[in-house]
Amino acid sequence: MIPPSPLRHVARFITTYRSYSTGPITPSHSIYLSKSTNPYFNLTFEDWLFRHKPPREPLLLIYRDDPCVIIGRNQNPWKEVNLTSSRQAGIPFIRRRSGGGTVYHDLGNTNFSIHVPRTTFDRRATAQIVVRAVRALGIDANVNDRNDICVGREKMSVARLLKYTKPDEVLLYVSGSAYKIANNRAYHHGTMLISTRLDTLGDLLRSDKETMITKGVASVRSPVCNLEQFSPTVSHDKFVDAVVGEFQKEFGVDEQACVIGDSEDITNIDYIQRGMAELPSWDWAYGQTPEFEYKIERSFPWADVRADVRSRHGIITTCEVSVVNGGDAALSGAVGHLGKALQGKRYGFVEDIEGVEDERGLEIWEWLKGQMSS
Amino acid sequence: MLVRPLRRLLGRPAIVSHFHTSHSYWASRKVLQKFKLADIGEGITECEVIKWSVKENNPIQSFDPLCEVQSDKASVEITSPFDGIVKELLVKEGEVAKVGQGLCLIEVEEEVIEGAPESQLETVGSAESTLSDLEPLSEKQVASETLSRAEEIREEPTTPRRLHPMDPNYTAEPATTNTENVLATPSVRHFAKQQGVDLVKLAPGSGRDGRIEKKDVEAFLSRASTRPDTSPVAGAVFTEAGADAVVELGRTRYGMWKAMVKSLEIPHFGYSTSLDITALHDILPILNAHIPSHYSGAAPAALPVNPAAVHPVPPPPSVPPSAQYTRLTYLPVLLKTLSRAMMEWPILRSSITPESTANSGKPTLTIRPHADISVALSTPSGLYTPTIQRANTHSIYSLSSQLKHLSYLGRQTPPALTPAEMPKRGGTVSVSNIGSIGAGEFAAPVLVPGGGVAIVAIGRAKWVWDVDRGDGKGERRLKLPISWSADHRVLEGAELAAFVECWRAYVEAPQRLIGEGI
Repeated sequence: MIPPSPLRHVARFITTYRSYSTGPITPSHSIYLSKSTNPYFNLTFEDWLFRHKPPREPLLLIYRDDPCVIIGRNQNPWKEVNLTSSRQAGIPFIRRRSGGGTVYHDLGNTNFSIHVPRTTFDRRATAQIVVRAVRALGIDANVNDRNDICVGREKMSVARLLKYTKPDEVLLYVSGSAYKIANNRAYHHGTMLISTRLDTLGDLLRSDKETMITKGVASVRSPVCNLEQFSPTVSHDKFVDAVVGEFQKEFGVDEQACVIGDSEDITNIDYIQRGMAELPSWDWAYGQTPEFEYKIERSFPWADVRADVRSRHGIITTCEVSVVNGGDAALSGAVGHLGKALQGKRYGFVEDIEGVEDERGLEIWEWLKGQMSS
Repeated sequence: MLVRPLRRLLGRPAIVSHFHTSHSYWASRKVLQKFKLADIGEGITECEVIKWSVKENNPIQSFDPLCEVQSDKASVEITSPFDGIVKELLVKEGEVAKVGQGLCLIEVEEEVIEGAPESQLETVGSAESTLSDLEPLSEKQVASETLSRAEEIREEPTTPRRLHPMDPNYTAEPATTNTENVLATPSVRHFAKQQGVDLVKLAPGSGRDGRIEKKDVEAFLSRASTRPDTSPVAGAVFTEAGADAVVELGRTRYGMWKAMVKSLEIPHFGYSTSLDITALHDILPILNAHIPSHYSGAAPAALPVNPAAVHPVPPPPSVPPSAQYTRLTYLPVLLKTLSRAMMEWPILRSSITPESTANSGKPTLTIRPHADISVALSTPSGLYTPTIQRANTHSIYSLSSQLKHLSYLGRQTPPALTPAEMPKRGGTVSVSNIGSIGAGEFAAPVLVPGGGVAIVAIGRAKWVWDVDRGDGKGERRLKLPISWSADHRVLEGAELAAFVECWRAYVEAPQRLIGEGI
């Protein structure tokens, strides 16, 4: 008898497996690692897993993104992101589908996403999985009452005992979290700063628009630091292994991680194609902004001008430009016209205004334009 | 023309007017339901409403997205629990709603009969109309099938069939109902045990999530004592003097009503023929013997030599128990061959682009790269048409698994079908396996908007003597009657006939699939 060649068996199984994996109806694995660093793909893939995984099975997804700023579902990009720096650095912002605040992603930051049935969703429990993973790397991490993961420098000191310092002052954050709940599924996802460019983070997330009042969720600013500050050996791969291990232990999952990328057979899925097209679209990125009001003032040589812009869903609903000191009737007319012309236009996306002849009016328009696109 | 032989078959008088009006007058009562912000858990007491997905005075269906709320870092999607019309939004976008506060008012059309628990009402409505349903399988009715029972097309109906849940003589078999699915509080369980009532027979109950309440047990007892010879539930509704009973349409039945009214816009034409499935009949046992272990739930056979010795074998996809099966029937094979024929006929993969007709411009067709097939699913709570997407990319075993899973979802209380199984777009061809319910030979199924450009009703296979075969001596062949209805705005008669011939070429010679590499 001719001994069967091992290759023959391997080939046979591979072909049958391929027919299962073309256009999978539902995600069949419990642990996914994304090789892709395309944030549009990763966020959409996460959403696809969220909507299509059988509801009773837990799932873990870990991914990294190329540099980008990720704002929460209901946030105001003009308030949260320094758009001027973002444009200069060529780093886009993306609105994600879960709530919460704004974070900065780059390849030194690892994102985790834990999906569970809605009925058993417990923020603390999922946060603890990650905390245990970080602890397994030799770093003493803790969870605060907002379920953010932080590392304390000196947890106890005489000053704290005597309540001379507030507990938060001693803690630095390494992770921010957000959640999404729908139908019968819920997920907790978050960042983990391992070796992120904190200077870029600070620059992009700096907001100086004190007079912009937004109805949406405002970010809670926290001092952050990288895990590598606490342990020189920590790395993305070690973190991934630790989280996968803790996830497997917590949910009794014994399958290995499945590595995927933004290959054609996945990007061809309808849902993913549509999701990846939706994320950068104006309607999603800007059009989901809740109501906000921005009051600004500027002193020109010939007059003081005040502008009160209100916007909803990214469209300017009202714009009142008024002259406070100085000026004349022509100027008042010009600013009145300017205000009316801006109504109904997309905030931050207006290139030219017609019908403003007065030079001063044009100067005011340039100022407004600059303010609205920062 | 086709209706008369069917009516004779069913023992009804041959003469009937086509546009007969139904027996009873269907009235429905509008109830304004306040939908409150439920406890999301996690100790959250209030949320901000980010976005409403509906407007006031717009219709909404169960599972449609209603609104999105946000509480600190959690974004929660809320779907509508009812079919109805959104009458008033009580909280504006950007405002904060407390848990327990009303979010919106939805006008719901409820069927109400005093004194009878909800679970009874559903069965009454359907028991009544099962009889009226069978009467005219004409333009007004869509053939429905149950995928859960009697799915196979019987070759010789000698052994007693398993009954459809909607059949008046149907009683739930305890073996098939999982006792774990029976929800009841301990006090109700104790009461039932005292009275000697098996809770499994009562599932689902009238309480939340199908919980059995004490009044369900009491109702069951009173029914048992006054049980007439026919359906036990019918007695609760008829008045003592045998007068007319006015019954209101349930949610799903009313949904069917509305869809059928819309279907009147579609000019239907029909086409019927029989497929020779003798070859399928011969290969079915072989296919059954080789159902992959991840679909059949059987442990994979232990091999004396390990194939994974050199390199790990990629694991097969994990399949939930609700999608596992041990018997393959004709329907998945018919769906697979249909999807192959659809790949050769782009017009059968097309649907009318929704916006094109709205702007009263020239209508356009959207042709999909894959074959999406909708399947009619008749459940105790009504008729649904979930869609199998990209049927051409699935194997016959995979299709069978999906059908099993869909029927499982449909049988849950409430039906666990979600927009993932019933996408708005729907399929381009619909299939209705009416042959599992009765020995139907011809039907005239109805297309609804969103149901595609054609629908086929599959009757019951029969062994017949085919004189065209066997060199004039004839041969015994298994024939399956099928009846198509198609949208004449899109399809021509000749196109449909040619398409059916293409399908026939696959069905009657299934061995082709081996050569084409399934």
